[in-house]
Amino acid sequence: MMRTVALAVLALALAAGVASAAPVGVGVGAFGGLSYPILQDDVGNGSVYGLRVPVRLLPMITVEPYWLTGKMDDATETIGGVEYTRDGFDNKGYGANAILGHVGGAGFHFYPFAGIGSHKLTRTGTPEIKETAYNFGLGFGLSPTPKVSLQIRGEVNMIKTGDTSRKFGNATVGLNYDLLP
Amino acid sequence: MKNLRWILPCLALVLFAPGCILTSGQFTLDFDLPDITATSSTGIVGEQIDLNDDSDYKDHKDNVKDISDFAVLGTFHNTGTSDVNVEVYMTRDLTTLTDALTITTTGIKLWGPFKVPANGTKTIDWDASAALFTAAGKAAVLQEAKGDGNFTLYAVGSAGTYQFDVENGKLVLVIDVGI
Repeated sequence: MMRTVALAVLALALAAGVASAAPVGVGVGAFGGLSYPILQDDVGNGSVYGLRVPVRLLPMITVEPYWLTGKMDDATETIGGVEYTRDGFDNKGYGANAILGHVGGAGFHFYPFAGIGSHKLTRTGTPEIKETAYNFGLGFGLSPTPKVSLQIRGEVNMIKTGDTSRKFGNATVGLNYDLLP
Repeated sequence: MKNLRWILPCLALVLFAPGCILTSGQFTLDFDLPDITATSSTGIVGEQIDLNDDSDYKDHKDNVKDISDFAVLGTFHNTGTSDVNVEVYMTRDLTTLTDALTITTTGIKLWGPFKVPANGTKTIDWDASAALFTAAGKAAVLQEAKGDGNFTLYAVGSAGTYQFDVENGKLVLVIDVGI
């Protein structure tokens, strides 16, 4: 309930900002990198990649819809002297991050971000997990040209599983292209 | 900029509203199962499990939230002349039953069936085994994990006359815990 209220107020605040804002900036980006399971014995390291569409609504606020897909490696466990492997998860999801600052533009800058999405975890022998995901992290943007920027991010992607969660630490590198203005 | 006064607290609420899901993890517990021979219908041998034998369980037993994965591993030899579907049942207490009918009527089906052809040998891997975990079994193991951690496993054939043995057996549980 608290989460729903918070999301509603967040949406209203953003909408109010848009109504009185300066021109909207829109970009498009692709990213890829490494994904590490956090406190998960039964999942190996993996990779993640996807697309982002940063929309700058206010000078200090960017909303960024994203889509990502990841493949975690098999976990290897030695049990009683015998090595067993467990299929790693496929992680597919979409959602939106709220960025405090902006992604593109000249120079270099840091920006914190947090977001929410819907992610699906699948692997052999386990029922599909399709749940709300929460993201938070820190990004670094560097623009060698006016329209193109390099994006380096570290984030935690936390997928709710009942009273607990599956958490992944993602380290990604991406390119962003400013479409507008 | 006035909107930031609303936006930042809302982002914090969105992030932290899930509560303890932020501080949780998945830990693997494994237990050796002795080599057994199961003969229908009164030659069944059980294995008593005490989750407290595992240090990860002892460290987190008060915060177990779920069982996220389960597997029975090992090599199954069917020494009979008919195919056998191996199933694993559990009783929620420490028991020493030997009769298959009593086990299947009073116990909870935990895992299976795993088909082993007549006079054949099959080793099951983790992925295949995880798919044979039953919903009722998951609920029962979770209750035991949240309780005293003691239960008993029995491997039986699903029907007919059978004789099989299991070598290098392991029980693997992945527990979801709040930290």
